[in-house]
Amino acid sequence: MNYLRHVLILVQKDIVAELRTKEMLNSMLLFVLLTMVMFNFAFGSGPETETLSSGLLWISFLFAAILGLNRVFVHEKDEGCLDGLMLCSMDCSVIYFGKAISSFLFLSVAELIALPVFTVFFVRESFLSHLWILIIVLMLGNVGISAVGTLLSAISINTKARDLMLPVLFLPVIVPILVAAVKSTGLVLSFSSVGTQQFWTEIVIWLRTLVIYDIIFVLVGFLTFEYVVEE
Amino acid sequence: MPEVNLLICVDSLSKRFGRRKVLNELNLNICKGDFLTIVGPNGAGKTTLLRILSTLSGFSSGCITINGVDIKENPAFVRKKIGLLSHNLLLYKDLNAYENLRFYGKMYNVSLLEDKISELLEKVELDHRKFDVVRTFSRGMQQRLSIARALLHDPEIIFLDEPFSGLDVHAGRILDGILEDLKKGCHTLVMTTHDIKKGLVHANSVAVLSGSKIAYHQRENLPDLDDFNQIYSDCVRNKR
Repeated sequence: MNYLRHVLILVQKDIVAELRTKEMLNSMLLFVLLTMVMFNFAFGSGPETETLSSGLLWISFLFAAILGLNRVFVHEKDEGCLDGLMLCSMDCSVIYFGKAISSFLFLSVAELIALPVFTVFFVRESFLSHLWILIIVLMLGNVGISAVGTLLSAISINTKARDLMLPVLFLPVIVPILVAAVKSTGLVLSFSSVGTQQFWTEIVIWLRTLVIYDIIFVLVGFLTFEYVVEE
Repeated sequence: MPEVNLLICVDSLSKRFGRRKVLNELNLNICKGDFLTIVGPNGAGKTTLLRILSTLSGFSSGCITINGVDIKENPAFVRKKIGLLSHNLLLYKDLNAYENLRFYGKMYNVSLLEDKISELLEKVELDHRKFDVVRTFSRGMQQRLSIARALLHDPEIIFLDEPFSGLDVHAGRILDGILEDLKKGCHTLVMTTHDIKKGLVHANSVAVLSGSKIAYHQRENLPDLDDFNQIYSDCVRNKR
């Protein structure tokens, strides 16, 4: 119970700090919206764009996430607050879960604001009846991104070229999540062109893949975070 | 030295950074209620020693026990007992003074937290700025807030790394008062400083860290300032 309370206190602190500075949310939102505008100009809104749209969506979300994840431990590192947290005699994984949940929340907010813009630019058929599946896909994708991104952000923050190091470490690792998220998003956006049975068969496979990788990434983060942050 | 109240025992401690040995077979005993001042030249390893004692840094070899507990085996036990004031102030600059103390207080499970925060902010004379964001504070004010943070959970042992740096005369006096109160409250304090005079005023035990070792350690019957300056110079020269 105390463990969960500490995680929530850490998340609450991150939310208060972020609402005051908005440095993560603003940069992620600006990036994701600009990318969509650029893609719209580059690819137009023809039927061929619809086949690309799920990839475009996740590419913009992924790079926006990197911008945010680069900032996750900046204050903890620059002001030495990570030492302060470690001295609170709690389990180091509290820091990991607190930071991962904060990242998840900030990324989800940016995505939920950007999703209507994406729909206007790239989606021609209504997918309202399957919107709930898309939201599940987004949330599962965000869990994976936040879980692995928080761990790698803690590693890269201790390197000289920390802003460059995170994408180098993060992008190869996140590929399975990205593939599963793109595939399932593509299915949701084009559900009218595939049969109902095929839709459900395939979406279950990709959602299962997302869940499995999320579990793996969360477990790896939970088990290794202590070794990453301790000198 | 009578060591019936031995609290911190450092035995043959070595710490390497790559090939460089920062601490080499260092031995140090600190008794309950002691106020130990450690002085030493730049780069002697004072901050490293405090970080190791605080369980924030590992070490290459040796053994450290606090209250008989090995700090490598059970760092969580040690962390509950210590407060640290370091070069890094461990404060969130986007939160205000009150939010910083409330956050750390909740993390430490401090009971009667609101009363404790008010008491400490009053002590460090920041109660009138409690709702101001830390980013707007001067370095000295941040240092004072960091002192309040370090004392929030009423730690038994307090490590102070150059606590007077960045403080003006008035803030220095506030810290002097806090240190005297802590001494009276039977806390154990370990302070590193370059200001030998300040160090001798408060301490009942002094040590010189030089040449990766404790080159001099005297508990009670401390030398006067001139004698200690001579001892310090000898220690540093012999190291070279």
